[in-house]
Amino acid sequence: MGESIVRQKILRLVMVTVIGLSTLFILFILSLTLGPVEMGFSEALTSLINVLKNGGRTSNINELIVYHIRLPRAICVIGVGIGLSIAGAVMQAIIRNPLVDPYITGVSSGAAFGVCLAMFAGITIVKIPFYTIPLAAFLGALLAFLLTMFLAEASGGMTLSYVLAGVVVGIAFSSFTTIFLVLGGEKLHGALFWLFGSFAYVSWKVVWIVFVPSLSLSIIVLLYARELNVILLGDEQAMQSGLDVQSFKRLMIIITSLLTSVCVAFTGIIGFLGLVVPHIARILMGSDHRILLPTVMLVGANVLMIADIIARTVLKPVELPVGAITSLIGVPFFAYLLIKRGREYVV
Amino acid sequence: MLYEGAVIIKIEDVTFYYESVKVLDGITIEVQRGEFLGLIGPNGSGKTTLLRCISGVLKPRVGVIYVDGQRIDKLKLIEVAQICASVPTELSSEFNLTVSDFVFLGRYPYVKGIWWESKEDEQIVEEVLKSFQLHHLADRKLSEISSGEKQRALLAKAVVQKPKVMLVDEPSAHLDLKYKLEVMEYLKELSRRKITIIAASHDVNLLSKYCDRIIILNSGKIVSFGRPEEVITEELIRKVYGVEATIMRNGNETFVVPKRPLR
Repeated sequence: MGESIVRQKILRLVMVTVIGLSTLFILFILSLTLGPVEMGFSEALTSLINVLKNGGRTSNINELIVYHIRLPRAICVIGVGIGLSIAGAVMQAIIRNPLVDPYITGVSSGAAFGVCLAMFAGITIVKIPFYTIPLAAFLGALLAFLLTMFLAEASGGMTLSYVLAGVVVGIAFSSFTTIFLVLGGEKLHGALFWLFGSFAYVSWKVVWIVFVPSLSLSIIVLLYARELNVILLGDEQAMQSGLDVQSFKRLMIIITSLLTSVCVAFTGIIGFLGLVVPHIARILMGSDHRILLPTVMLVGANVLMIADIIARTVLKPVELPVGAITSLIGVPFFAYLLIKRGREYVV
Repeated sequence: MLYEGAVIIKIEDVTFYYESVKVLDGITIEVQRGEFLGLIGPNGSGKTTLLRCISGVLKPRVGVIYVDGQRIDKLKLIEVAQICASVPTELSSEFNLTVSDFVFLGRYPYVKGIWWESKEDEQIVEEVLKSFQLHHLADRKLSEISSGEKQRALLAKAVVQKPKVMLVDEPSAHLDLKYKLEVMEYLKELSRRKITIIAASHDVNLLSKYCDRIIILNSGKIVSFGRPEEVITEELIRKVYGVEATIMRNGNETFVVPKRPLR
């Protein structure tokens, strides 16, 4: 063995962090160059540095665009990339099922339903404050998660039970969402684009209620990395190893619902990210959550950044919903997992 | 609760129900420190349930279990895990932990830092990996190693847990003859180092070869409890398993040679 195992792990963690942050930085600046107003890489970078030096005061049009339009979007992409990927990784660990993520378990649809319901109530009954939207999303997400868990466990708790239960719950919530969209008429039309997942309407106000909670909740999850390792053993063995499985799972269900809802509340349903990213990270760095989770955060931010850049450039000047791009990548990936590994997990 | 230091586990009149089915019925046992105890009985006789009760995962409706002088229902799971380590029949490899990741999990009840194991934890793990001839496999994935190696990894994880009691369920289920004997030798060695072993198995001959005492369970009740050569009799095999058998003795060792099922 030679070198200490723990030391080796810390070294690998440092390495992945340095690489992940470097690529993220490049993608971040690249995303600041994109939009109707053409800008070079170094132009975008200098504008960003200047405007940050002046504490947000802008002195020319480039700085204005970078600071007020493109920067919040880029930060939001990172927040959502981290949040959905961590939520996926945690779900896969506590359900011990590599085929789940916030989208497949119906949790995203539950959150979206919560938002639509709140907006519908907002236009028909009373004007509701902006900050109740994430709360409605959270209630929807939690309800969906609990329903999925209940259905899956009542039907035997096999790997595919969770997928099927999640799909059913997801469809149910989506149908309700559609009904509310139709009832809401023109006033909810903007919601349609939002529903597919998009960062097009992100402002600074949104950044703080997406990025900050998403990052802090993910850091809380990081503190439980060892518990997530233990739970991979299965409920009974985890208990025999000293983990209070019930209360730990309860906590993780709440955290993943919160993570999903802050991501979905303002940027819509971005499917399959939470499925694909943990798999990539596991292939790269193994299953120890102390290395896996930071890798998931970095890969998640990088992948969603790339997807957002693709969504904005591929049919320029038309912008595609980023959720469509992640699904285009995610669906074949999911199919591959289902064919290659689904069989092992059915029984 | 006070009693002589030689008793590590005391089970008093334990009765357990799964929903309304009585699975354990008035079990009373005292187990000595460093004893190698075998648990045999037909399918559904309550062997695994009894192990689960001792590991604190199941709470009996009636009766009390003392482990190392403490009532188990008053302990937290993490405190139980510092006394009892469980070795399951199988290990899941769905998430492809490496062998060393897996064995390190045995230190969970002790690690004080938030994240990384201490130098001491690491030393314990490295020693145990060596003594189970697993150190060259430390970075291999669990799905890539053989059944015999998996069984050793399961034992290694339990040993790094530094338990006073090891609860072993079917230690030899998927192993060939050589590995079966190897696992039993490991367990025997651990019991010589004053770790109490309670092993449940269907393999009557294997248990009677290695165990100090044997408990025979049938329908949740203790049918017989004592030294293997005393309890394993033709009459008992007939009564408990419904099988006609001949008992052969070779010095201290007792073998059951099954003949035919009774009608």
